[in-house]
Amino acid sequence: MFLPPPRGKVRIGARAGEEIVGARSNKMNSQSRFNLSVSVNGTTWSGEVPIEETLLEFLRNRIHFTGTKRSCESAVCGACTVLVDNHTVSSCNYLAFEANGKFVLTIEGVARGDKLDPLQEAFIRNIGAQCGYCTPGQIMAAKGLLLENPNPTREQIAEWLSGNICRCGAYGAIAQSILEAAQAQSHPKG
Amino acid sequence: MLQRLQLIQPTTIAEASAALADLGEGAKIYAGGAELLLLLRNGLLETETLVDVKKIDRLHRITMDTNAIRVGACVSHQELASHPLIRQHAPALAYAESHLANVRVRNQGTLGGNLAFNDPHSDPGTVLLVHDAAVVLGSSQGERKLPLADFFVDMYATALQPSELLVEVEVPFLPSGMKSGYQRLHRYQRPTLGVAAAVRMNSGAVEEARLAVGCVGPKSLRLTDLEAKIKGATIDGAKSIISEEKSKLRELIRPVDDLLGSADYKLYMTTVMLGDVLGEAVEKALS
Repeated sequence: MFLPPPRGKVRIGARAGEEIVGARSNKMNSQSRFNLSVSVNGTTWSGEVPIEETLLEFLRNRIHFTGTKRSCESAVCGACTVLVDNHTVSSCNYLAFEANGKFVLTIEGVARGDKLDPLQEAFIRNIGAQCGYCTPGQIMAAKGLLLENPNPTREQIAEWLSGNICRCGAYGAIAQSILEAAQAQSHPKG
Repeated sequence: MLQRLQLIQPTTIAEASAALADLGEGAKIYAGGAELLLLLRNGLLETETLVDVKKIDRLHRITMDTNAIRVGACVSHQELASHPLIRQHAPALAYAESHLANVRVRNQGTLGGNLAFNDPHSDPGTVLLVHDAAVVLGSSQGERKLPLADFFVDMYATALQPSELLVEVEVPFLPSGMKSGYQRLHRYQRPTLGVAAAVRMNSGAVEEARLAVGCVGPKSLRLTDLEAKIKGATIDGAKSIISEEKSKLRELIRPVDDLLGSADYKLYMTTVMLGDVLGEAVEKALS
């Protein structure tokens, strides 16, 4: 059953009587679960996650933020791109516990309420999405780029986005959308 | 989904080494996870415990002394690509790091993890060889230093002992007047070929040169015989010497046929791009 994500501070994944700390090594304790506290789009989540849970699995299956897409699972295609402390990562190849104490931004957190992000507006205007599957990753990658370089050239966009694959081949419209979003951000209307 | 995993987070090299000694084959060193998690997911590796070495402070440092920059094993590719000391003293390394895979992998992957995994299709090792880089390996027994060329044993194999971890990479400055370059050939995110050169010129001729090649054979290699042969040559002379040495290079670098290209193609491109990257370094040395 998929429920909408609860708001505010919640406890996730904890099961009664579950052992957190094992004792595989006699030198140091090893743990099979991690007491995670992470901000996702500004809401703090805390609870236990298995060590092997990826950030993608955490986002999609545990807290039901399904905007982030699973695709190659090899850190190659970029469909699962999210920002962790403003840096882009492939959430498919990043363990959830690594996000402890950090700020995760997903596609769900890009708009401010009903106000779309300039990137989202530009993608809609330019038809920067065809089938749309890679789009959340493209927008998160672009978000990461604009945080680092608010006025990128088309070449810098192409270089940065070279790790985000679009099988529909919407690259021209994607690049144009990012250029326009950068302009909109540096010269906001009214 | 990944197999069930346990986690250990040591805060000292001795603790990490003790855990590795204790758990043996059941444990793997985990830094960025950029390579390790892919292997686990694809069933190419099995492990019970990740020994997360990122809590060891020393592994995150970048420092400089009189003759080298020391890079902690857990420094990410992105940090290296943008670090002022690396950009100033090892610009070819900064260039290689800024073109490795994609920006997400550069944010997550570490220099130490990359070298210790020793995937032949990789960038940093090749450019580090022209810096005569060395690695510091640590365990509960202490530390030892090894030239990077000796650390690379074979594809996916290094001189790292079971209870050792890579602590830092020593990147010596290039000798005065020597300039370097790195070039890669790639159709996919992992390079087909990587070549590095460093050169000092004297009256239009090569006074001292260093050449390295990676990706085409089992491991990155310095080409010391070829370096000696191009000494005293002009850049055009050096380029023809390199192409004449093709059959010797084939024996040395053992190019393989794979999805990235045939062995013949890779060998041919090696000679072309060694000439190109040497030309790039010569241009910088003369300007």
